[in-house]
Amino acid sequence: MRIYEELFIIRPEATEEEIEAVNSQMAAAITSTGGMVDKVDKWGLRKLAYRLQKKSEGYYVLIQFQGGAETVKELERRLRVNDAVMKFLTVRIDEKLKWLERRRKAREKRAARRPQPPVAPAMPAQEVAAMPGAPVSREE
Amino acid sequence: MAETRGGRPIGSSQRPTGGDKAIVSNKRQFFRRRKVCKFCVDKIDHIDYKDVRLLSMFISERGKIIPRRLSGVCTPCQRRLSEAIKQARNIALLPFATRAVAAAGSHG
Repeated sequence: MRIYEELFIIRPEATEEEIEAVNSQMAAAITSTGGMVDKVDKWGLRKLAYRLQKKSEGYYVLIQFQGGAETVKELERRLRVNDAVMKFLTVRIDEKLKWLERRRKAREKRAARRPQPPVAPAMPAQEVAAMPGAPVSREE
Repeated sequence: MAETRGGRPIGSSQRPTGGDKAIVSNKRQFFRRRKVCKFCVDKIDHIDYKDVRLLSMFISERGKIIPRRLSGVCTPCQRRLSEAIKQARNIALLPFATRAVAAAGSHG
């Protein structure tokens, strides 16, 4: 099982029901091929950085899921077939997450090795502020 | 470098522009501050393609990726950064290019 992230753009004129329909369809595509939906995050209507199909806005949906190659294949096929979906991006993130975890641990170890450096006493406090899973900025 | 340019007018006439540039760069050293990698300083491990606000700090007005030599980002971070910017471009979070504002010559 791998962890993926699927970000796709639905046409801006789609109604709430249509968006829901697309989302449930994609969730069905994931579960039917042995995958598992972790979370669905609807960003909402957002301005596009460039025009897509003569539209300058789009409804962004982010789905995080687990699954194998079959799941991705089926999901991407459905996204491609669906007329309401303008564009999509699949990113595999499990190795990235693993790498981040390793890095975070190494950083903690390093912080523990020198508890109170006389040069910078405020160091450990700053480390807490920089979280890896930073929230996505959503303007407009 | 500066001595030969100032002492010999013949040498300066051979490469006048090069000499000018040298002067400019010497002046620039005055207010140049040490560049540091933002990602290392702020301890940002994960350069996320979804984080538009962060990524847009590292693209020019025309939408180009700012080179390391200007932004001061370290090599591993720049690699991850450019990857993230390219992913964001793909899904229309960042522009591939933006049109020039008006006539040519605006690029300074």
